[in-house]
Amino acid sequence: MPHPPLISIGRPRDAVLDEKTYSKNVEAMREKSGVLDERRAEVQAGWGPKYEERVHAKKKLTARERIEELKDDGTRIFEVGTFVNYGREFGRVKSPGAGIVTAFTRVEGRWTMVIANDNTVASGSWWPQTPEKIIRGQEMAIRLRLPVIYLVDCSGLFLPEQSRSFPGRTGAGHIFKKNSELAAAGVPQIAGVFGDCIAGGGYMPIISDRVYMTEQAYMVIAGAALIKGAKSQQLSSLDIGGPEVHVHQSGCADVRVPDDAAALAMIRRDVAKLASPAYDFYRHGMDAGEPFFPPHELEGLFPADHRMTYQVEEVIARLVDRSLFWEILPGRGQEMLIGVGRVNGLYMGFVANRQGVVDDPEFHGAKKAAGIFYKEGIAKVSAFSRACDADGIPLVWLQDISGFDIGVEAERLGLLGYGSSLIYTNSTNSTPMFTVLLRKASGAGYYAMAGHPYDPVVQLSTPITRQSVMEGRTLAIAAFNTKLDDDFEIATTDPEERAKIEKGMRETEQRIEADMDPYQAARQMDTDEIVRFDELRAWLEVFAEASYQSTGYRRTKNPRIWSLHDIDALSEPRG
Amino acid sequence: MFRSLLIANRGEVAVRVARAARELGIRTVCISSEADLGASWLEGVDEVVCVGAAAPKDSYLRIERIIQAALQTQCAAVHPGWGFLAENSRFASLCAQHGLTFLGPGPGTMEKLGLKIPAKQAMRAAGLDGIPGSEGLLGSLEEAREVAEATGYPVIVKADAGGGGRGMRRCDSAGELESGWHQASAEAEAAFGNGQLYLEKYITGGRHIEIQILCDAFGHGIHLGERECSIQRNHQKLIEESPSPALTPEQRSELGLKAAKAASAIGYVGAGTVEFFREPGGQLYFMEMNARLQVEHPVTEMVSGIDLVKQQLLVAANHPLEITQDDVQLSGAAIECRINAEDPSADFRPTPGKLEVYEFPAGVGPGEVRVDTHLVAGDTVPPYYDSLLAKVIAHGATRDEAIETMLATLREARIEGVSTTTPLHLAVLMSPEFRRGEYDTASIPGWSGEQVANH
Repeated sequence: MPHPPLISIGRPRDAVLDEKTYSKNVEAMREKSGVLDERRAEVQAGWGPKYEERVHAKKKLTARERIEELKDDGTRIFEVGTFVNYGREFGRVKSPGAGIVTAFTRVEGRWTMVIANDNTVASGSWWPQTPEKIIRGQEMAIRLRLPVIYLVDCSGLFLPEQSRSFPGRTGAGHIFKKNSELAAAGVPQIAGVFGDCIAGGGYMPIISDRVYMTEQAYMVIAGAALIKGAKSQQLSSLDIGGPEVHVHQSGCADVRVPDDAAALAMIRRDVAKLASPAYDFYRHGMDAGEPFFPPHELEGLFPADHRMTYQVEEVIARLVDRSLFWEILPGRGQEMLIGVGRVNGLYMGFVANRQGVVDDPEFHGAKKAAGIFYKEGIAKVSAFSRACDADGIPLVWLQDISGFDIGVEAERLGLLGYGSSLIYTNSTNSTPMFTVLLRKASGAGYYAMAGHPYDPVVQLSTPITRQSVMEGRTLAIAAFNTKLDDDFEIATTDPEERAKIEKGMRETEQRIEADMDPYQAARQMDTDEIVRFDELRAWLEVFAEASYQSTGYRRTKNPRIWSLHDIDALSEPRG
Repeated sequence: MFRSLLIANRGEVAVRVARAARELGIRTVCISSEADLGASWLEGVDEVVCVGAAAPKDSYLRIERIIQAALQTQCAAVHPGWGFLAENSRFASLCAQHGLTFLGPGPGTMEKLGLKIPAKQAMRAAGLDGIPGSEGLLGSLEEAREVAEATGYPVIVKADAGGGGRGMRRCDSAGELESGWHQASAEAEAAFGNGQLYLEKYITGGRHIEIQILCDAFGHGIHLGERECSIQRNHQKLIEESPSPALTPEQRSELGLKAAKAASAIGYVGAGTVEFFREPGGQLYFMEMNARLQVEHPVTEMVSGIDLVKQQLLVAANHPLEITQDDVQLSGAAIECRINAEDPSADFRPTPGKLEVYEFPAGVGPGEVRVDTHLVAGDTVPPYYDSLLAKVIAHGATRDEAIETMLATLREARIEGVSTTTPLHLAVLMSPEFRRGEYDTASIPGWSGEQVANH
């Protein structure tokens, strides 16, 4: 059948969980979400009101005010990399958000990647990991061919830490290489220069297709402080590289504008001249629609205790339009759920882990624990991933996985081989992939489900995400293996030694637990952003529209000719 | 045109839709519950598919089974009628997903119109003002107070996600607003998981006037005049008529054009109804838009001569509208009475049972009569569904002629075996208030409890 046969999934909240359990889950989750909100606010405050006032005193807007002004009314900004450098200190100062804001921002109906120096943090200078964060934003843009808007207000490298942000493979200079790659790929880039733009910062806007300069802006290879005789000639940086020079003489910029507001208005006008977004075309005549079961209920579906199970169908029901979904190969490799649903009217492929117990395909009638990969599940996901790539369906990976099955049987069945096939598939896919670490993201399971090392366009974590090679308990067992019996119980009967081993195992477990904190992952860019469960659907909407916005750069097929139908046609014996 | 149509409804609705389909040469397939299997009205369709047990939740509301029925019988389109799934966007979306043309607007339009605030904002943008009150959802009690002061008491706070009277409070003073605000919000939060409220001026004694519109897929929209539906009992319409005695020809034309324009502006496709509230002072406010055919559509068909169901089918198959606004000529007056199997002497309790005698006279009045019914003598009215037996529609050159025709028809109609609401209709039609056209939604003219005993 050429129609993707979506059907209703999910059940009302009160049929899934009793009121008491649901409330308890919500309460536990809201506590974690509250921490997330506070920490976001902390990053967004930059260096605080004093620095905001300094910016305002110069008749300039702060970076976030500029983005607010730039975006379409009634839309929200989707920041990535909020927690880069979170909690790190350089000397005695911190660099909230690494002094840069990178955000999916809707401008004139088109999703753009806005990259804005945070001028409330050390005058927008570049810190260790600032270049990496900018480059990451540029990568997301190039993958989806989204226009990039640079809002430049940067006093250059934060020099005390220069050795950590200048020379390496991802040192500041790599930003300009990315500028070039974006330009070569035909991705529109627009820059607004709002103030300082010195040295490295000076190169950032130049490759852009359009460069605006406010009357306060200057772009220089070196500022007045480094120019011999500048003092006696009373030369300011503005004299050396202001709009007078660059717009009218050097041609390094295109347009001079009086102030921030004028620059932002003109940038919006430029974006409006770009090709219309194609996502409405790719809805194939269907209206976008909210999930039938409200997405905010996701907050209460995840048990407060991470060892407890839940039904992943209920999660997907709260992410896809009108809670309609087509599960493919439902009878095979049941530890995995694969299928297609619409998000904001646009088709997206979903891969998710089932929890609890599922049928064991190797032994008729037997059951197996889910939440890990077995042979059939890997094969199913691999075939689906490749088919979505062939069909140009963007993939959403919803991870809650502890790893691969282990043991004699697993090795005999060749899980290493099946797993490698999946790794190969995901590594060579060109369809946009988005990874969401719902909860556990452990071991090779994290890799096989398109975790960060496999270049998803964006990877999101939640407040309860646990990224690790193995859970703390497992590591403790591995580390103290020689002291344990067949059932992983402590073998010795000597009470003193027993206490020592118990303490050691507990400490190992706790250390791993701390390392699994999603903020630590976000701080070192092992994940792109931490989002609340009730925001997840909104993020997927952005991913869907952004994936279908531009045409001509990637394969998209109308649903009639999807290879997914072939998998479906071969899945059930006929007659 | 579609070769086969699935009718996802029952009774009088199914009969009405099947008639239009048949006249366009479309094969009809109708779903049925186990309780309705073998009903006489199913003889009028080409194929019947049983979709489940008697209770609507097990049959007429089982969306996956209904889709399955359509696919198995090679239907190209699905007509939901009114009630049941007519405004279920998940069903509309599922139809489209499976290649079935849904007879109604797209699911997105349906959802927008189903939520009060987005619907009002869309209509305001298109030039139709709602009842004075908050622009949208209120952020706080303080904001509610300010809006209430500006609007003037009494006001009513309502839940955005509301329905069935829940999450709604009338407040006559600032003091009442505070308690009403908290009660409505808590009630809506508990019932719908969404405690957000908006506020409107509370108006009593108004009239319910609605405009019939028809839009095609090419942005053309026309209106077919209005229906007045102010004779209601517990928000259930009893008698509808067109034209409304309360509108001048200028108001009719202005309101109609605005409604048609607004519907086109939001991308509406198909037949729909834009409802207005006329306050006692004469001011008209937009209330809501119904994204479906209405029960009372025959009133409009009688004065306009246009078959709305046929038009729906044509528009759904992407035929451009062939009727322009100038082609629409409304003539005479029409009145519809809904005859329900209910006992007026026992608080309108439904009285299912066997119809021993069931006859409507022909040619008794100065005007013409149309009876829309799915029943014949000997049929049984099952207890599971709504109690409508028939809609009697009388048309005359004038309003008086229509009333005379209706009175003559109802007086001579013979229905035995179940109690009916005919006594109430006769009382209303004979009341001086109704004859003068002076009535509103607050009371039923000519009708009070005592009359039941006298009848």
